Amino acid sequence: MYNNKLIGSMYVTPFIIGFLLFTAFPFIASFVLSLTDARLQDQLGAANFTGLANYGEMAGDATFQKSLGVTFFYVFVTVPLKLAFALLIAVILNFKLRGIGFFRTAFYLPSILGGSVAIAVVWRFVFAGDGLINQAFGVLGFGGINWLGEPDTAMFSIVLLRLWQFGSAMVVFLAGLKAIPEDLYEAADIDGASRFKQFWMITLPLLTPVLFFNFIMQIVQAFQEFNGPYIITAGGPLKSSYLLPLMIYEEAFKYFNLGYSSALSWVLFVIIAIFTAVAFWSQKHWVFYAQERDDNKGGH
Amino acid sequence: MTNSVKLTDVKKSFNGHEVIKGVSLEVKKGELVVFVGPSGCGKSTLLRLIAGLDTPTSGEIHISNKDVTYAHPSKRGVAMVFQSYALYPHMTVADNIAFALKIQGLPRAEVDAKVAEVAEILQLTPLLKRRPKALSGGQRQRVAIGRAIVRQPDVFLFDEPLSNLDASLRGQMRVEIARLHAKLGATSVYVTHDQVEAMTLADKIVVLNAGHIEQVGSPMELYRRPANLFVARFIGSPNMNILSVKVAGAAATTVTLETPQGLLEIPRTGVVATNGDTVSLGLRPENLHVAADGEASHLKGHVVLIERLGGETFAYVALKDFGNDPVIIKLSGEADLHNHQEVGLRVDLDRAHLFDAQGLALGQPLGAAPDVGAGHV
Amino acid sequence: MASTTSHAPDAGWRKHLPVLNALLRYGILIIIGFLMLYPLFWMIGGSFKNNHEIFSSIGFIPKEPTLDGVINGWKTSTEYTFATYLINTFKIVIPKVIVTVISSVIVAYGFARFAIPGRKYLFALLMATVLLPKSVLLIPQYLMFREFGWLDTYLPLYIPQAFAVEGFFVFMIIQFMRSLPLEMEEAAVMDGCNSFQVLTLIVAPVILPAIIAVALFQFMWSMNDFLQPLIYLSSVEKYPVALALKMSIDVTEATSWNEILAMSTIAIAPSLILFFAAQKYFVDGITSGAVKG
Repeated sequence: MYNNKLIGSMYVTPFIIGFLLFTAFPFIASFVLSLTDARLQDQLGAANFTGLANYGEMAGDATFQKSLGVTFFYVFVTVPLKLAFALLIAVILNFKLRGIGFFRTAFYLPSILGGSVAIAVVWRFVFAGDGLINQAFGVLGFGGINWLGEPDTAMFSIVLLRLWQFGSAMVVFLAGLKAIPEDLYEAADIDGASRFKQFWMITLPLLTPVLFFNFIMQIVQAFQEFNGPYIITAGGPLKSSYLLPLMIYEEAFKYFNLGYSSALSWVLFVIIAIFTAVAFWSQKHWVFYAQERDDNKGGH
Repeated sequence: MTNSVKLTDVKKSFNGHEVIKGVSLEVKKGELVVFVGPSGCGKSTLLRLIAGLDTPTSGEIHISNKDVTYAHPSKRGVAMVFQSYALYPHMTVADNIAFALKIQGLPRAEVDAKVAEVAEILQLTPLLKRRPKALSGGQRQRVAIGRAIVRQPDVFLFDEPLSNLDASLRGQMRVEIARLHAKLGATSVYVTHDQVEAMTLADKIVVLNAGHIEQVGSPMELYRRPANLFVARFIGSPNMNILSVKVAGAAATTVTLETPQGLLEIPRTGVVATNGDTVSLGLRPENLHVAADGEASHLKGHVVLIERLGGETFAYVALKDFGNDPVIIKLSGEADLHNHQEVGLRVDLDRAHLFDAQGLALGQPLGAAPDVGAGHV
Repeated sequence: MASTTSHAPDAGWRKHLPVLNALLRYGILIIIGFLMLYPLFWMIGGSFKNNHEIFSSIGFIPKEPTLDGVINGWKTSTEYTFATYLINTFKIVIPKVIVTVISSVIVAYGFARFAIPGRKYLFALLMATVLLPKSVLLIPQYLMFREFGWLDTYLPLYIPQAFAVEGFFVFMIIQFMRSLPLEMEEAAVMDGCNSFQVLTLIVAPVILPAIIAVALFQFMWSMNDFLQPLIYLSSVEKYPVALALKMSIDVTEATSWNEILAMSTIAIAPSLILFFAAQKYFVDGITSGAVKG
């Protein structure tokens, strides 16, 4: 039955239609748009072909350059920190003790809720001038800080919101840790390897597939962050938290520059594509797969 | 006609690789036929072709005189018991057994009656409300069989049904399957890699190797008159001892063989061979005996290893000047023997087997009935 | 970690290592957990405080509990109550979850089990959709739905999901399906099922945990979704909670924090309840893709 190509194709037809209509077509269309001066309020027919002018414009666009720099900063800070923190907590949690399940739940919760507007709103209050953190500082005898009013600290607040959501990466790490056979550690114990050595020689290498998965997912997500900065800082002050997705949105739906916005989105796409391509290319050098994957299962 | 299953030159390829290389076979009504062979010989594929889970690349399959080569599995009058039982974990035992009938759209009362009847046969009645997770291995096996029986198929197919059970349970279930077959008298095709299962259950054994049939016959036929070296080695435990010797002369009822220890004369008819031909002499472990002191012996050697299993003893004897692996001898449990002991061996010459350079049986033992099931089909 | 027993009887203090180890772990976990969850406690507590108390005390338990914040928050500063926005949210989220589950299961079944021409390439495309930034598709999709006349309706928010566009979910279900023994499905075929019956009567019930996980994730993500409604919805009466909340802070933020905190609490309450009721499925779901694959 499963070698019936016709029936099989019927099952994946929704995906093929959806892919062509809602992914492939918009994907190409957005590149075509990026070569025009299309405006949101005009008919598309009124747009002119402008070649690579939109891409050329970026070279002289200080806002774009600021946004690009801020985006890279945001990704380069949040991804490694989040992964390191998630791994650290996972290692601490990977322990047969009462109540571990409770902590796992508690740490996982923020990554489920963290993307919501409600949490962003709370975050705004926590970092507000008379918000929770400054009140706590007052209790401890420190002066308040204008968190959301200063470029550096505004960025800090949205970085912290992302780090707060380390739970999903942690759960994946934890599952990876649990999949490492106990007898490897017992063998290492007998060989006299210290706990620290065991972590570097056993845990980390066997965790690389999971690390790779987490890395890719975190990179892709971090480059697309929108809700947090849009609601907490609105990209400010002085565009200090104006991540590229915010700029893409505002160019299109606030300034109506569909062409330029499309060009920006393609820049974002190319950046993510390069990162993932390098990651996939490099994985044969550092990702350790214990066994070959069985991709042919059910395929005869 | 009494054919229940008939395969005609069935071939099957996967990705250009031929795994079934032209198999023709008939299974008579009520027969229990066992497909046996090493892993990768194609026995499971052949069963799946009969079941309809795969379709042959060429050839024809008839079941109850209907061409079912391309028919849907459920339209062939076959039911299958899988190796992993393949029970539906989200259904109760009753629902598992009833599933096929419900799919057919049988009225509920009829379904319930049939399920109850089958459960009674298999002693599953108290378990009907349970889910597979709450059953033991043997119970799951019985549910899997019940699921097959309830459909009253023309042919039962078993795909290594006992290989997931532990040794003692396997023996028990084997007896149960044999009893069930005797009771229902249903045509069955049974795949196994275990020759004990094959020998004990089968009316007819089909030995498969590398996608073709090596020999078809009753268990004792295969044991007594293997058509070739492959079958000779495959059937019987421990394996048949194979010695390389030369033909020194062939008469009407005897063959004279030249061994490194001198000449051996073996009673055998119909041997066509040229003097000097290298042939294989096959001796089963139970047809070799340690000669008593002073008694004449056919072969000499010394003991290299003794395995005592309690009820019986296996002795490994390195034959003088033969140079190959030691031969295995089956002795009684109490056999008085020790390592390095020099021994003389008596051979039951009338039970010896002989194979030519191609591995095909040479001639026949004296007094054998004409070839019944043996040979290629 | 690996083993907690100490092997050296000579060093007395080593006997206590496991206990110290456990205490250290508990200590770290409690401190981090407290700091992490404090904003949530503070949010919930703040819903029942008066505004003065929010600004004057960092504790999260209200000293003079009041329902003012909840009541006023529920009324909102708009012409509709919060109930309207909650109902709107469910009008988007529920159809979205349903079509996502159905389409993902069907497509995953095709990928996981059938010999489809070009399956390798189709699968690569599926995985590529996971990595593709949504902002590249945003503008053409908007223009397309504008052509369809779907602006200011909920259709753009869930119709694409009826075509298994979320590669992550499809992949997750594929992983679950591949872990099922093929023989079970073959038994169903022998029992007379066609492939669609195999899927609906056997495969789907058996992978129900994965299906629940997909439903839960899509529910959470859709509850959180902000950008899509922001672009497609223009009438306030159609706003989901996410937009209503954003609108409210723009209007009332300066003064009535308790109202905003109450609204936020109500906004995440469905997700929160669902999370605690079904957290097992989240963990199983998210790890199936990463660890098995």
